[in-house]
Amino acid sequence: MSILKMSFTGRRSLALTATAVAVTLAAAGCGGDSGGGAPTLPGNPGLGGDGVVAQSVYDAAPVATDADIPAGSTMEAIRKRGYLNIGGSLDAPLLAQQNPVSGTIEGFDADMAKLLAKYIIGKPEVKTTTIGTQTREAMLQAKSVDAVFQTYTITPQRATQVAFAGPYLTSGLAVGVRKDDTSIKSVKDLAGKTVIVGANTPAVTALPSAAPGSKQIAFGTDPQALQALLQKRGDAYVQDFTLLASGAKANPGMKVVGEPFTTEAYGIGLNKEDAQFKEFVNNWLKKIQADGTWAKVWEGTLGSVVEGGAPTPPALGSADGS
Amino acid sequence: MEALTAHLSQLGHGLVTTVELTVVTTVGAMLLGIVVATLRIAPVPLLRAIGTAYVEVFQNLPLLALLVLFVFALPTIGITFPLFTSAAIVIAVYEGAYLAEAIRAGINTVGVGQAEAARAIGLTFGQSLRHVILPQGLRAVIQPIGNICIALLMNTSLAAAVGVVELTQAANNVNLVEAQPIAVFTGAGLAYMLLALIIGQVTGLLERRLAIVR
Repeated sequence: MSILKMSFTGRRSLALTATAVAVTLAAAGCGGDSGGGAPTLPGNPGLGGDGVVAQSVYDAAPVATDADIPAGSTMEAIRKRGYLNIGGSLDAPLLAQQNPVSGTIEGFDADMAKLLAKYIIGKPEVKTTTIGTQTREAMLQAKSVDAVFQTYTITPQRATQVAFAGPYLTSGLAVGVRKDDTSIKSVKDLAGKTVIVGANTPAVTALPSAAPGSKQIAFGTDPQALQALLQKRGDAYVQDFTLLASGAKANPGMKVVGEPFTTEAYGIGLNKEDAQFKEFVNNWLKKIQADGTWAKVWEGTLGSVVEGGAPTPPALGSADGS
Repeated sequence: MEALTAHLSQLGHGLVTTVELTVVTTVGAMLLGIVVATLRIAPVPLLRAIGTAYVEVFQNLPLLALLVLFVFALPTIGITFPLFTSAAIVIAVYEGAYLAEAIRAGINTVGVGQAEAARAIGLTFGQSLRHVILPQGLRAVIQPIGNICIALLMNTSLAAAVGVVELTQAANNVNLVEAQPIAVFTGAGLAYMLLALIIGQVTGLLERRLAIVR
């Protein structure tokens, strides 16, 4: 039995290493860029297959008129530069993950960024700077990036430092456990347990009140936290529902239990001083929500692991701080 | 400033963990360094090869990669240590390689005549090492050892990546609430600077007391 387990986990770590090498190669420019991402699966029209938004969604996406882009504005600077400079991630499946084969970044956050780029420039040209969650505010204040698309939860305290357009997506914290665990059915069962969280995620601050008496261990990245759960360093992993769902899909050893127990409203982080740009981005969000582009992006990415159709997009300005 | 003062206890706990981690690893790395340096000058070729292999392996791997491997790869073969212990072992093993080289440099400053004289009066290799060579060799490299200890202190911040809540991770957690990275990390940076200055002062004191002027 133990030998079986060893060989199983051994193969996984080998696969992880292989993926890491592939990602490194792709990042180094060795991966060919096929433009439209992975080929569309047959019999799944409208959806670009597993976690990929179809090219037709980009083709139909709106482009701002010249009247929307006044001279001297941030938008004009971006249009002149020819690409949108965003802060994001490369390792969040279904939200923003770099495809090791094509080198393109796929997922809800990444596709929203590309659509904003198309709206401003006319083509979905995005340069992604991977940033840690601890430097987002500093990057925006220094104008090192135009916007942050990184499941950036809107909070009133953060809103004193940055401007949030949106919310463009709502989700919430949920509980992931190992598949064979039947003792934990919801967040209420976490009291006295050891709980794994992602460092710098809302779970760090939400857990003490949602599950009093629980002990926290934090890991830097989502793959590390998942691995730690499977290696029994903790009893449960509290993370955003969308991330847990994609993690459960990739790792048969874990499952998501219960409903999300918080409501997180994700915003597009922008420079605090730039009210004009915030209004512009909010207008764009309104447009893509109304014409159905938002729903198509959701279905192509997060919708591929969540049952049921696309949810109603969150109302702009509905989160405290947006 | 308020971002810092409102979370002093959280940052304080992180600072204590950083100091604990630094002290434990410095002691461990020092012992390992002496053993490895001894191996590298041992009369037996196999022991010298082991010492050389140790230094080459651990000086040429990034500490973060070692930490991630130790914390996430070992459990796949059934070995799991608590996180603090894992971080302490890895940092001690890694810094041990650097200390070994500094100590070997110190040993090289001891005149050949000293070793020959020790052998002439009938001391074994172990005895001459313990009573003649190491005491002189270590005293010659107090300053470099102090510098490696300061680097070790800074390297403990990498333990944050594998779940140890030391000063850097505590600062991360505070920033998560306050969203003021510049204030929070300036505070943490000043705390690191203070600790490094203390190590520097202790090193300087030891240097003045113990160094052999040639």
